[in-house]
Amino acid sequence: MPPKTHARRQAPPRKAPARRTSAPARKRTDPHREWYKFFSEKYQIPVEQLKKEFQDELDGKNPVDAPLEIPDRMEVFFKYSYGKQSRFFRELRMHQQILGSKCPQCRRVYLPPRADCSLCYQPTSWVKLSGKGTVIACTIQHFSTSAFIKKVPFICAYIRLDGTDSLLMTNMEMDDPSRARPGMRVKAEFRKNRYGIITDFYFRPLTGGS
Amino acid sequence: MAIVGVGTTKFKARWIDKTYYELAYDAAKLALSDARIGREDIDACVYGIYNDFFQRQYQPDAFVHDYIGMGLKPGVRVNTGGATGGSALRMGFSEVASGLYDTVLVLGVEKCNDCFNYEVHQHSPEVLRAILYTADMTYDNPAGRTAASGFALAVIAHIEKFGTPTERQMALVSVKNHRNATRNPVAQSPKLLTVEDVLSSRKIVDPFKFYDNCLYSEGASAVILASEEKAREITDCPIWITGLGASLDWVLPQNRPNIYEFQSSQIAARKAYEMAGIKDPLQELDLAEIHDAFTGTEIMAYEDCFFCPPGEGGRLIEEGVVEPEGKLPVNLSGGLLGCGHAVGATGIMQTIEVVLHLRGQAENRQRKNARVGLVQSIGGTLCSWTVCLILKREE
Ligand SMILES: [Zn+2]
Repeated sequence: MPPKTHARRQAPPRKAPARRTSAPARKRTDPHREWYKFFSEKYQIPVEQLKKEFQDELDGKNPVDAPLEIPDRMEVFFKYSYGKQSRFFRELRMHQQILGSKCPQCRRVYLPPRADCSLCYQPTSWVKLSGKGTVIACTIQHFSTSAFIKKVPFICAYIRLDGTDSLLMTNMEMDDPSRARPGMRVKAEFRKNRYGIITDFYFRPLTGGS
Repeated sequence: MAIVGVGTTKFKARWIDKTYYELAYDAAKLALSDARIGREDIDACVYGIYNDFFQRQYQPDAFVHDYIGMGLKPGVRVNTGGATGGSALRMGFSEVASGLYDTVLVLGVEKCNDCFNYEVHQHSPEVLRAILYTADMTYDNPAGRTAASGFALAVIAHIEKFGTPTERQMALVSVKNHRNATRNPVAQSPKLLTVEDVLSSRKIVDPFKFYDNCLYSEGASAVILASEEKAREITDCPIWITGLGASLDWVLPQNRPNIYEFQSSQIAARKAYEMAGIKDPLQELDLAEIHDAFTGTEIMAYEDCFFCPPGEGGRLIEEGVVEPEGKLPVNLSGGLLGCGHAVGATGIMQTIEVVLHLRGQAENRQRKNARVGLVQSIGGTLCSWTVCLILKREE
């Protein structure tokens, strides 16, 4: 196959343009360009990152019986419903208010909320919470999932909000994360941009006692 | 009910030359050959496979069933997180104990390290991402926690309550299990470490350092269960399952009375001991394979399996009670820390380890005169699931 020059993005969408003699042909075009383009566009992986993993294979450097690797990505989009917990997330986004749910029979207050008491099989009712609470356990993440690996180090904690009987898995932010301790009093802080998700708020240490 | 055949592949970081069903085939072939029976002698199959993202396939069990030539026989898949292997055994046990089938193949397989993060050029963060889809997606997943931090929080709550385990005690567990792995030919991480090596390894999530965490492994393990009558036909050396206990706690640990102990483990252990007639596990057990995904949780497991009173688990490792020459050796296989954690296969690998000791086939790591052993398989957010099995050799 004769080497082609770069077919740039401004080319008409259907057909590749005829070779441009005016373009500076300093670099030879990558013969695997189409392969990279196919997977890069399909899975939103930058070509440079693909090259790091697959160049040897494409250049025919691997033996014919060697394991062959190929990119893939599993993905499903959602428009999901919070069901009977919907009000909890709407109040977070619109009113910076944290709600718990209280069982009329056993008086237990759930946070995360649940519309039904799992023990009494009774519908619960919403109660307003102050947003103050106590750290039960906290830790610093020095490593995390792909979705969070760029944010380390950060604090994950189980916090019990005042007036509730359960724990919340949440993040704490403080100037010196190494000073986070069980027993510490904290208060919920709402983010400026809120989306109706659980991370619309996080916790900071309460200053000046509880 | 007896275990009449066992087989496991090596646990490795990556079996790049095999797919998950090809790995499963290897384990099935080994187990059938160990039992000296053929695939036509199997009445039904139970598959332990944890994460569909790992396999890049939903309902992967059906493809395993096909590839190992079990077509048209009943087959079912079990998934209870890290306890998947133990739960698959429990399902197989139920199928034979009910009288439904005489011979059941229980096979666990996992291949996690096809997950890959292109941006940071590593497998682990993407493996973790796949794992975190099994945390509560609405309330737990968005905080960026990991399986390790869930268990770290439990260990921190335990330290807050009892003052232990200390970082040194946790390091001793890591040293023990990596050293035990040097005598296990299927282990992924045989290492002679010092306490200092563990303490100075890089931080993962406080208080866990690198060597406090198990590895991600790929592997497949299989056992063949048989009714008493069938077992006597197949083998002269049946290993009896004399106790089985299971529990699933609140999966949102938020709702538990506390997080410094794992009640599912206590209940599963108590039920298994009751069924097997064990009153004092420390005296009566000859060895135990404990789900040591993290050093701190192995120590918590000493307490939750009633080897000692609450808060005293750290003492057992310090005094050498759980070392190979101690009163109750724990994780002679190397455990998850040393042998590895191929999730769906792990509980079955642990079971095979106990079987080998009870048969007297554990070579240079053999527990002398092993008669009774415990397998503990746990999984889910802060140990939601626990399955415990008691295995016993023929008297
Ligand atoms: Zn109630």
